[in-house]
Amino acid sequence: MVSVRPVSVTPGSLTYIDIPWIIEHREDRCTLCGHCTSVCPKGSIYLAHRRQRMPKLDIANKNRGNEYRTFVGIRQKTTMANACIGCGMCSMVCPNEAIGPVPNTNEHRSLFFHNQKGEPRKRGGRRNAPGPTLLDRILFDRISMLTDPALDAGRHEFNVTTTLGRVLAPEEFLRRTISGGWIPPTREIFPFVIGSMSFGALSPNMWLGLLQGVAYCNEILGIPVVMCTGEGGCPPWVLRSKYLKYLVLQIASGYFGWDEIIRAIPEMQCDPAAIEIKYGQGAKPGDGGLLMWFKVSKMIARLRGVPEGVDLPSPPVHQTLYSIEESVMKMIQTLSTAFSHKVPVYPKISASTSSKSVLNNLVRNPYAGGLVIDGIDGGTGAAYNVSMDATGHPIASNVRECYLDLAAQGKQNEIPIFAAGGIGKNGNVAQNGMALIMLGASGVHIGKYVMQAAAGCLGSEKNRCNVCNVGICPKGITSQNPKLYRRLDPDLVAERVADIFLSIQTEVKKIMAPLGRSQSLPIGMSDALGINDKDAADRLQIRYVC
Amino acid sequence: MIVVKGRDEKGQRINSMDFEKMVRKAAASSASLSLESYGQHNIGIRLQHPDGLHIDVKGPSGQRLGCMGMPGTSIVCHGASSDDVGYLNIGAEIAVLGDATNGVCNAMAMGKVYIKGSIGARGLTMTKWNPDYEKPELWVLGSTGDSFAEFNCGGTAVVCGVNAKNPANILGYRPCVGMVGGLIFFRGAIDDSFAKTNARLDRPNDEQWQWLMERMGYFLERVESPELLATLTVREEWQVLVSITPQERALMFSGPMPMAEFREKYWKGAFGGGDPLRDIAPGLDRSPIEAIVTGDLRRNRPYWANCESAAPCTYYCPVHIPTVDRLRLIREGRADEAYEMILRYTPFPAVVCGAVCPNLCVENCSRQNVDAPIDAQVLGRAVTQFKAPAVAEPLGKKVAIIGAGPGGMNAAWQLALAGVEAHIFEKDTKIGGKLAQVIPWERLPQAIWNQEIERFLATPNIHVNLGVDMDKKKFAQLQKDFDYVVVAVGTHSPRRLLFPGHERVIAALDFLKSAKSEAPPAIGREVVIIGAGNVGCDVACEAYRLGAEKVTLVDIQKPLAFGKEKENAEALGATFRWPVKTKEVTAAGLVTDEGEVIAAQTVIISIGDIPALPFLPENIDTVTVGGAAWVKTDKAHLTSDSKVLAIGDVEKPGLATHALGAGKTAAEFILAAIKGVEWKPFAKPLIPQQAMTITHYTPDTPLATQQNQADRCLSCASCRDCHLCETICPTGAISRRELKPDNRIGADPGFKASYEYVSDDKKCIACGFCADTCPCGIWIMHPY
Repeated sequence: MVSVRPVSVTPGSLTYIDIPWIIEHREDRCTLCGHCTSVCPKGSIYLAHRRQRMPKLDIANKNRGNEYRTFVGIRQKTTMANACIGCGMCSMVCPNEAIGPVPNTNEHRSLFFHNQKGEPRKRGGRRNAPGPTLLDRILFDRISMLTDPALDAGRHEFNVTTTLGRVLAPEEFLRRTISGGWIPPTREIFPFVIGSMSFGALSPNMWLGLLQGVAYCNEILGIPVVMCTGEGGCPPWVLRSKYLKYLVLQIASGYFGWDEIIRAIPEMQCDPAAIEIKYGQGAKPGDGGLLMWFKVSKMIARLRGVPEGVDLPSPPVHQTLYSIEESVMKMIQTLSTAFSHKVPVYPKISASTSSKSVLNNLVRNPYAGGLVIDGIDGGTGAAYNVSMDATGHPIASNVRECYLDLAAQGKQNEIPIFAAGGIGKNGNVAQNGMALIMLGASGVHIGKYVMQAAAGCLGSEKNRCNVCNVGICPKGITSQNPKLYRRLDPDLVAERVADIFLSIQTEVKKIMAPLGRSQSLPIGMSDALGINDKDAADRLQIRYVC
Repeated sequence: MIVVKGRDEKGQRINSMDFEKMVRKAAASSASLSLESYGQHNIGIRLQHPDGLHIDVKGPSGQRLGCMGMPGTSIVCHGASSDDVGYLNIGAEIAVLGDATNGVCNAMAMGKVYIKGSIGARGLTMTKWNPDYEKPELWVLGSTGDSFAEFNCGGTAVVCGVNAKNPANILGYRPCVGMVGGLIFFRGAIDDSFAKTNARLDRPNDEQWQWLMERMGYFLERVESPELLATLTVREEWQVLVSITPQERALMFSGPMPMAEFREKYWKGAFGGGDPLRDIAPGLDRSPIEAIVTGDLRRNRPYWANCESAAPCTYYCPVHIPTVDRLRLIREGRADEAYEMILRYTPFPAVVCGAVCPNLCVENCSRQNVDAPIDAQVLGRAVTQFKAPAVAEPLGKKVAIIGAGPGGMNAAWQLALAGVEAHIFEKDTKIGGKLAQVIPWERLPQAIWNQEIERFLATPNIHVNLGVDMDKKKFAQLQKDFDYVVVAVGTHSPRRLLFPGHERVIAALDFLKSAKSEAPPAIGREVVIIGAGNVGCDVACEAYRLGAEKVTLVDIQKPLAFGKEKENAEALGATFRWPVKTKEVTAAGLVTDEGEVIAAQTVIISIGDIPALPFLPENIDTVTVGGAAWVKTDKAHLTSDSKVLAIGDVEKPGLATHALGAGKTAAEFILAAIKGVEWKPFAKPLIPQQAMTITHYTPDTPLATQQNQADRCLSCASCRDCHLCETICPTGAISRRELKPDNRIGADPGFKASYEYVSDDKKCIACGFCADTCPCGIWIMHPY
């Protein structure tokens, strides 16, 4: 008898070829140092002792029998709770390149077992739709060479900022200036904004590392980058610091941390950059925010004013709002008043076929300072997979429609639209952002890209990692466990933020220079865009090129 | 010298194309030309003379003076010049005794350009340096315009700042963008707008200073200003802009300030000089750590959970006999201690473990995943002749036990060993209950039985009263005379079915009792047994023994018989039929519902027995199941009377082993109550199979010896002191430590380990190798 374990096959029994990532372990290289099993965030791998039977079948000498050899190797577990997520931390810590996950190219059956205990799959990350996005395919095809003054991105000076806040029509501006009326506040900001990722969704080291980088960009590099807090409040010291001016404070249906914000108003050294009211999120339109209990640490609970270790869903809708009109009237006006009408207030919605309705309502509201539209490729710390993968509207045509609608009313310079969702999904952050700007956005919000570029987020659209929701982020980006987030050095995050924005700035110039633009962003300059897809070209009203 | 005029006889300007031809022709015949130019472009382009060519430009010069100038050619422009002086110059020496406008020296690769005044924008851009030739030079007595030295590759510039156009900034706005080589000497103020990633500001070093001094006199001569020599040779007034190499740039931080400096100088100050989270999370340490950590930074830590779970044998045995510990004692050569330990669990190791028990212990033995389970019968029988353990000091308490079956006997045995007087009251004339009365001797060898009964009866504190027919009055008396009463009367009323002819049917219990008696009953040639359970199988075997030739067991459902009983019956030829529903029993045999007659002279019914409890007082609750009353008890076998316990089949039907277990538990409860300590039921969890690593063992052929069982035991949940954890630990964190006798951990009451394994938190990285390797499943990784 050679059996080594009882084998029972249940409906949920999986084997390693059913797991999305297959651990390849090279026993000939392994030193058995234990680093891989120690670092694995999911407890997916373990030291396996295996036995091999080596029959001796020497017929000539009538010599027969069995010998056994035992050997060790690192193997992966096949339970859903311990299924490998492909993060690759094992490879990262292996001193000998002996181990690593490889994507499973089988039709892995684990997809059918994500729904455990009656709960459908929840995860972090964004829509698992790999490959080039539509934005990646847009070309900047109008190049001024001898036809316009040639600009050199390296030599000439550019003004790479955009306006956040309501811009009055010229005659109205003159009228109010003369009569001493209220001029809505505006900010000149860098058009690439770090999108809302909450203190809670992100670890303290990540969130503060980003803010430190943003402060560096502003104070040392002179790039006026702003960052949105997300819906998790803001540390009281930050609210009372001079860096508040680089922050867009978000308010959403969960109202987390707003008591601290209101408490800090009298002591604020400066105004925040803006107030963002979240009505929707591209990653999970029609569903609310979610901070799962794993991440509600004592400190997060303290900042948000909630019990420790509980799930924190934000409802999909604001509990006391019943219509666009009421919402706009109530929240925008209230928050504008809270900061003495000196801070732009704007809503954020998920891209939808109804985006235009919201925008047109905002146009009629004198307090609305802009609109952020978040497309289906936006990321999140936690959402139902079905919301992330299948619910929502791509950003490009949505922003385009909204912009053209404004243009038809002659209001395109009055209320800025910011686009979000999948910008830089494949690393082409400046190209994606500038494509959206030229389709009509005044700027873009980037979140997941920042996590990937500033902190080395391992997540991908091939379903790699994506465990932000359960607080086990192996890089410490989205964990609230100090044992994990202390892996992330905030100084290094801040350095990367500086790298990112310096680079985006250069690339924006490289895109603007051929257009012959140096002093204003080419917002809506769609005559310089082309795409080798006739349907997309028609839909976006840009040139079809081939 | 040849003079070339730039205007024709009519005073009209000669176009640049014709002028160039004229100059070229003149240069072919003279090494010295004087050009009275009139704004012609490209003067001096690609001109050379074997003896060297000197050109004086006397009139206004057009654009690109000296462009593509050749080595050996010198050009002096006696006034100001227009754009692009020295454009693509590859060796000419060009002096402009006035200002020059934009683009001076653009793309110059060799040669020298001397400017007496100042220059416009984009001077010294795109210069080249071919290492086979001298570097190009641009000397400016005054200042430069904006965008100076862009993409400068090799040109050396000297900007003296004399009569600068803007004395506050003599190099213009944003010089050195894209500059990858060359050097700029300058004397005077600049606005600090030079490209920081391309050039760095410095003082001239000795070599550079010497270079400058060696050439300054010549330059001043060329621009006719020798009187400035003293002014321009004050070293402290000179600075240089030196190009930064890509290698140097790669070492620079992308921003102008290192982040650590920013953190200290700016960041912390914004939050009152400390961490911005210190108010909401006092004492929070956010400093960076490595990915592989020890101590408190680990997310898991190993725990040596020796004997905290139960091995399957211990867990599934109704008496919870710790077979793993017993086998360890045998492995260690301590067989006597092993036997004594077993006898502290049961008085019947040979009779029950070794014979009648289906051995639930080894049904789940982990060893069967290697080869075959441990043989529990071999182990049980080994204890047959071993003497009873010594009894403890008397506790001065008495307990009455009604019924001398396995349950009552183990209760008595446990109490007796613990120093309590155990008085047994048995209805029958012999002790042993159904073991003695109904189990055929084929399954329970009589010699073994006699030895274990002898050992039992010889034990102090055990008093047996036979032939006592219990009734309510006697029971009440027992309650008065004894501290506790244990009801262990079993089930001795057979169940019957009232089909026609039922009076022809013999109850299995009665049949088995008489079969085992001195006067066995007569039996027919053909026998039908209604009810094909294990008792039915015993009946079948006894029927064959007493002369039956054909035995049929019928059942209305799939027979429940299993194990040795069923095998024995089948070996003797018994057949099983189901589903069969009895309609009646006649002289011909059993008639089924379908009307078939199964021939039989003897029909025996074996569908179970129920308790007979007429003696029980009213205050003891019973529960009615299946039409019979059973005594209601709790986990400790206590009835609704706090001094009366009930064990065995009177609670619910079970194996002899279940009765033994109940007897032990009840005795433990009584002992705890007597001693005034808390009673703790067996509560160890079963060790999961996957906790153990059984691949360390190789399949072997089992032998029927006690030693072989000991050798093959996997020691589930109980450390076998193999040192594998110590060996596999990659950081050497695990070590073995002897324990002081009073500080021992272990299962009770038998084995106590005299050692423990510990993991050093300072070395452990929580890889889990110890847990993955431990053959016994002792090391567990706990979240931390």
